[in-house]
Amino acid sequence: MTVEIRIDPTVCRGHAICALFFRDGVDLDQWGFGKIVVGTVESPRDVRRARRAAAACPNGAFVVRERAAAGSAPPPV
Amino acid sequence: MTTMPDLEVAEADPIAALHGFATTGPAPVPTPGAAASVAGVGEPGALLLAGAPAGADGGLEGHLGRWGWLPAMDGPGVRALLRTSGLDGRGGGGFPLARKVETARLAGGSPLLVVNASESEPASRKDRTLCAERPHLVLDGAALVAAALGVDEVVVHLHRSPRSPAPVLAHAVAERRHRRLADPRWRISAGPDRYVSGESSAVASYVDGGEARPRFTTLPLAVAGPSGRPTVVSNAETVAHLAVIARLGPDVWAAHGVPSSPGTRLVTVTGATARPGRVLELSGPVTIGDVLVADGVPAAPAAVLVGGFAGGWVQGEDAWRTPFTRDGLRGVDAEPGCGLIGVLPHGACGLIETARIVRYLAGESAGQCGTCVAGLPRLAAACEELATGTLRRRGVRKLVALADLVDGSGACGHPDAVVRLIRSTLAVFEDDVVGHLSGHPCRGAVHPSVFAVPEADLTLGRHDAREWA
Repeated sequence: MTVEIRIDPTVCRGHAICALFFRDGVDLDQWGFGKIVVGTVESPRDVRRARRAAAACPNGAFVVRERAAAGSAPPPV
Repeated sequence: MTTMPDLEVAEADPIAALHGFATTGPAPVPTPGAAASVAGVGEPGALLLAGAPAGADGGLEGHLGRWGWLPAMDGPGVRALLRTSGLDGRGGGGFPLARKVETARLAGGSPLLVVNASESEPASRKDRTLCAERPHLVLDGAALVAAALGVDEVVVHLHRSPRSPAPVLAHAVAERRHRRLADPRWRISAGPDRYVSGESSAVASYVDGGEARPRFTTLPLAVAGPSGRPTVVSNAETVAHLAVIARLGPDVWAAHGVPSSPGTRLVTVTGATARPGRVLELSGPVTIGDVLVADGVPAAPAAVLVGGFAGGWVQGEDAWRTPFTRDGLRGVDAEPGCGLIGVLPHGACGLIETARIVRYLAGESAGQCGTCVAGLPRLAAACEELATGTLRRRGVRKLVALADLVDGSGACGHPDAVVRLIRSTLAVFEDDVVGHLSGHPCRGAVHPSVFAVPEADLTLGRHDAREWA
């Protein structure tokens, strides 16, 4: 399964909890605000970590979304 | 200084030629790609800005006399016109309008169409000049995009500001109702007068009843806007061009530009020029030097700020011979952006001007994203230290590292734009940076401020939520 992961920077408050659960997937800046390293994860282990990071974010900034099936994806813009 | 071999000043009025009107002299049909011109409102060579200035232009009757009725066109017809013309967005991004419209149609549902005339860039005047001088071209074009999308309402969005052309647009709408034109419903929306409130996701959010702050989006607005509806936000100049394309045909319109940048282009000239804030319309392969000559700048200035406060610096001599087209500007790492051409004269200090702009932009953050709130004030402080000569070499390295960190970290392009400005500053004013670091007194310190930068808001976007509503 492929899931897309994003951090909504407008609600991220730099708690950096996502990085505790998904250290390889998140880059923290000097203030603790996270940046996603790679926008999609595939391995079951990484998907599990990403979901935990999303569940643990107190602001709901860490977003995990299952990628739409091929064919129904929006056209590239 | 270069010469302008193919700049034809007294070009015949192509619109008058098309309609067979009597003009000031013979009116040959324009030869595609032949003439280059720089024209103000009503001057020879102007296309969007052709005709008498506002007030003497005869309102809707004058508009119809100049351009004739809008040809009756269905959705597929307008969409074909958008595709073949290659009309690119003029709000800053240069995104083809045809693709926004196609994406919104494929997304299904009931699309929302917003014409963005808010023009947040403090030094830019092109959109408000266009709306004030040629409101009916903007409304004609908006009606065509509405047909292409199959929607029956258009929102024209502006900022609440004393300089807003909203009264002119409201009057134009009334004139059209009186003449019973086959128009969509018009809604004129006035939002907060903040820099980032003119960004397309902020505009989409505001017209949908939310705050006028940029939104974090995983999908393009044209697929799903804040309400879930596909949302097309298009710049006022972009849609006005469509009104011209519908009348002249895409080929004649495109021939007013160059193959890579079809059609004419509106620019605002500011800084050390004869008339800061003057709006000019460019046809053909016009260089920045041609534009500056038309505005009374005789020779290459020290540097030119291209594309807006959110744009970048270009060294004066390089800028002078660079065509103001997307392809031409790419050669000097610049983009047309909102069409701003800012002139920094010899004797003024680019580092001081940059510091003022960065401080202003830092204060115009919406205060949402962490790196913008934490990073921009630090970037502004470092630029001020560099300008006043108190920054040391290690500080410059820190400034560069901080810029790398902030780049691409926000929900919108605001922090990226500040970073772009700073990077171009360090590259173009490299010698000045070295001079400031070694503590030499800066010759530009006594020069009066060049750009009219609004006073920085030091509360850094953390305002009462009502301010964004």
